[in-house]
Amino acid sequence: MNGILNWILWLPIIGMVGIILTPKAKENVIRMMTLVTTSITLILSILLYLKFDTSTADMQFVTKLPWISQFHINYFIGIDGITMLMTFLNALLFFICTLSSWTVTKNIKAYFALLLMLQSTVFGVFFSLDFFLFYVYWEVMLLPMFFLIGIWGGENREYAAIKFFLYTFFGSIFMLVGIIALYYASGKGVDSFNILAHQGGKFTELQVNVFGKSFSFEHLFFWFMFLGFAIKVPVFPFHTWLPHAHVQAPTAVSVILAGVLLKMGTYGFLRIAFPIFPQAAVEYSTIIAVLGLISVIYGAFCAMAQDDVKKLIAYSSVSHMGFVMLGLSAMTTQGMNGAVLQMFNHGTSTAMMFLLIGILYERSHHRWIVKPDGSKGYGGLSTKLPKYTTVFIIGMFASLGLPGLSGFISEALIFLGIYEKFTTITVIAVVGLLIGAAYLLWMFKRMFFGEVNPETEDYEDMNAREVFYMIPLCICVIVFGIFPSPLLNVMKASVGQLVDLLSKY
Amino acid sequence: MIDQLFGFLGYYIPEVICIVLMTTLLVAESSVKDEHAPRTKIHVYTQIVLGIVLISLFQNLGEKPLHIFHNAVTIDPFSTLMKIIMVVGTMGTVFLSHSSKDIYTNLKSEFSIMAVGVLIGGMLLASANNMLTFYLGLETLSILSYVMSSFKRDESTSTEAGMKYVLYGGLSAGVSLFGISHLYGVFGSIQFGEIARQVPGLEGINLAIVLVSSVLFFVGVGYKISVFPFHMWTPDVYQGAPIPVTSFFAIVPKMAGLATLVRVSFVFLSEGSPLTVSWVGLILVIAAMTMTVGNVTAIGQTSVKRMLAFSSIGHVGMMILGIVVMNESGVQAILFYGIVYMFMTLIAFYITSHLSDMYGTDSYDVFRGLVYKHPLMAIIMASVLFSLAGIPPFSGFVAKFNMFAVVIEKKHYGIAIVAAFNSVIALYYYMKLAKTMIFGQADGEEKVLGFTPLNQAVIIALFIPVLFLGVFWDSAMALAGNASLFIK
Repeated sequence: MNGILNWILWLPIIGMVGIILTPKAKENVIRMMTLVTTSITLILSILLYLKFDTSTADMQFVTKLPWISQFHINYFIGIDGITMLMTFLNALLFFICTLSSWTVTKNIKAYFALLLMLQSTVFGVFFSLDFFLFYVYWEVMLLPMFFLIGIWGGENREYAAIKFFLYTFFGSIFMLVGIIALYYASGKGVDSFNILAHQGGKFTELQVNVFGKSFSFEHLFFWFMFLGFAIKVPVFPFHTWLPHAHVQAPTAVSVILAGVLLKMGTYGFLRIAFPIFPQAAVEYSTIIAVLGLISVIYGAFCAMAQDDVKKLIAYSSVSHMGFVMLGLSAMTTQGMNGAVLQMFNHGTSTAMMFLLIGILYERSHHRWIVKPDGSKGYGGLSTKLPKYTTVFIIGMFASLGLPGLSGFISEALIFLGIYEKFTTITVIAVVGLLIGAAYLLWMFKRMFFGEVNPETEDYEDMNAREVFYMIPLCICVIVFGIFPSPLLNVMKASVGQLVDLLSKY
Repeated sequence: MIDQLFGFLGYYIPEVICIVLMTTLLVAESSVKDEHAPRTKIHVYTQIVLGIVLISLFQNLGEKPLHIFHNAVTIDPFSTLMKIIMVVGTMGTVFLSHSSKDIYTNLKSEFSIMAVGVLIGGMLLASANNMLTFYLGLETLSILSYVMSSFKRDESTSTEAGMKYVLYGGLSAGVSLFGISHLYGVFGSIQFGEIARQVPGLEGINLAIVLVSSVLFFVGVGYKISVFPFHMWTPDVYQGAPIPVTSFFAIVPKMAGLATLVRVSFVFLSEGSPLTVSWVGLILVIAAMTMTVGNVTAIGQTSVKRMLAFSSIGHVGMMILGIVVMNESGVQAILFYGIVYMFMTLIAFYITSHLSDMYGTDSYDVFRGLVYKHPLMAIIMASVLFSLAGIPPFSGFVAKFNMFAVVIEKKHYGIAIVAAFNSVIALYYYMKLAKTMIFGQADGEEKVLGFTPLNQAVIIALFIPVLFLGVFWDSAMALAGNASLFIK
């Protein structure tokens, strides 16, 4: 049964090879191949969920094969409760993105090949239990992203693609130094690249010399790892690449970027930075919380100031990922549960928002709430586009955390978890929630209410394809808003294990 | 005595074949009647003979280390592997010179002659076991290089390149010889083995002299591999020289210099050497400065050839990190890096050369929209650029990873951080070119010439190791590891 995970990991690559071998002119064949690949992946990931044993925190569906024997590097994959959720999210979003990319016309062959490659590498990051494998996937993921943003992006795409690549690479190269340092610190043995074997605070006593000064190994390399993951999340002050990448990226890539790629950063904290360096993580939890808080408030204020809808949602991602960081910094069961749940819920709700903006963009070819010349970009959309408005309302309210929709539960859990540890921070963070509601509602008012903008007269409402791919996401935000236990049960054991470990320090 | 000499000659077959090749090439060129005829036969002949050299080198690879010719020359797996890299590099550049318009037709076979000559010098350097052989190799390598760099006789930049190369080269060889003379004065021997024996016992004034003169000695090598602060000649020479010559310079003399540097470092830094602290400190600073200067200067370049030249300085900075650690795994990392670097450099220069032949310039603009004109070559070039920047799954990443690994093993975290910053800088300028190729729109729909099926096949053949060694690097590492064990 372990093979199922390998299939999920390699199926997109098989699809990619198939697309490369298909003649360029057969555009619909290429589209169908991508759709078939992503739907099989989605079905497999649902199967995986059904087979998943929620009672244990151990890795499941493990495959371990030797790769580079000299360094004891293995092809070592497996999932636990946290990655189970991310696997499902990834499979779902790529399936939806394939449908939403149906309208892409420029160089379809390369587009879908890169999209599938991206899916495989993202799975790889979540599945890898070997540090070297993890790093390879983490870096390879940059290549399809770089090209997807740079070729199919907006006007300023080259700048955005390079900035995205450089920022992430900057963080990850320090992570590489950390990975190699861990390899030697653990004695070059059989498990020296095994992420799981490093966990549990084994490096608290070590000292290292850098530029003639002595540092604690644990604390120094915690920050190396922190840099790698924080840029990915992104936490203030490393967030500046995100708005550019989001605004320039094509719709599907924005969805993937916000939906799963940002989660790789927080996943890194959960799987690597916290369990391997628990002492440092506990010691610096205040700093993490404060950075998370700044992200929440600053991201929200930035979002409020935007005239471009996509940029607004991009900044709202900074704000919402700040909540995840807050939840992580709590290091309590509720906080961690909230953080992981927020990772999933933000994935679905932001994906909805970006898809909706993409749908609107295909009609209007601009994204201005207020155009640069001061005139209104949209207005009165609700009268012309009833289906669109309904879905938009669901996505928006999920995003701002209305009770009954998914965003509320995760944010509530985060606040519950963090309140006792950082009371002041919690109080200020709640203000972030308020600003979040303000900018989203204000945006909604300006776009959907008021007088009908003559330019929007001839917009068509969502077509069947668009409705079809929005349905799963709507179901996700509504069902998991009322009934989150399917998600919470899956991650319970894994989160519990991490909290137990952290509570010892 | 004579028997013994001929017996040793058996181990020296590769070099002997090269010398025969060089002399026969001279004869062959003089028999060409039409000055503008393409020297296809001569090039095929060169490739075949170099192929034989390669085979005989591979046979030597398994041999036990051995000193021949009265300890003047060492044949060990380390030098043999370095020679293999150099021979493949020479074969690659000779092939490039055949199609390149940068080399005048009447000089095409001269390129092969000079290249084989430099190769002989490089092989001698890689095998040098005493100061005299070292100097002989260095000069053989240098003097022919001077000629090669001024191959574009009609252009002032090329003549300037030759002139600069001669002046710098002459000076540094002189300084190096000056250092050697002092070392001889102190040790009473020019044998590396004898020096290595005496070094740990040094003290007082002798130690001071050795300290200074070994640095002077280092100048000659440092100049060849163009490390900071002896890199000043590199950009001008690389720019002035024709592209095949530039790619040749980026591989063969550098590998030869690195081989010597490794061997010399092990001589002066044997167990308990009083020089260790200052040498390691010196090389650390030199490595850090070399990669930083190379990479930072590469950012602003507008000519791809110059950019690649500066990036090669950056790569040498990375490679000499393997010397800092003074152990087998360091040498292993250098060898692996060398193999990978050779393939990547060849491909990058191949594609640059073909494009520059078509447009008459090697600015970034000729790469604009290459992906629409010739997707396969654009993808290979982009992959090579990412490989040079050290992005998995390409082999450049593995090379970089190994280098980081050996440095961190010895707890040189500071230099690891410097190297990390440099990787980011390098990525930036490689990405600038990748961006031009893939995101830029082509001006016209014209087909790119130069990528004949044969050229493409060669580029693909060179690209396979870049890809393969990035994922399955076990056996190549084992090969490099095997070659690193017999260093002393």
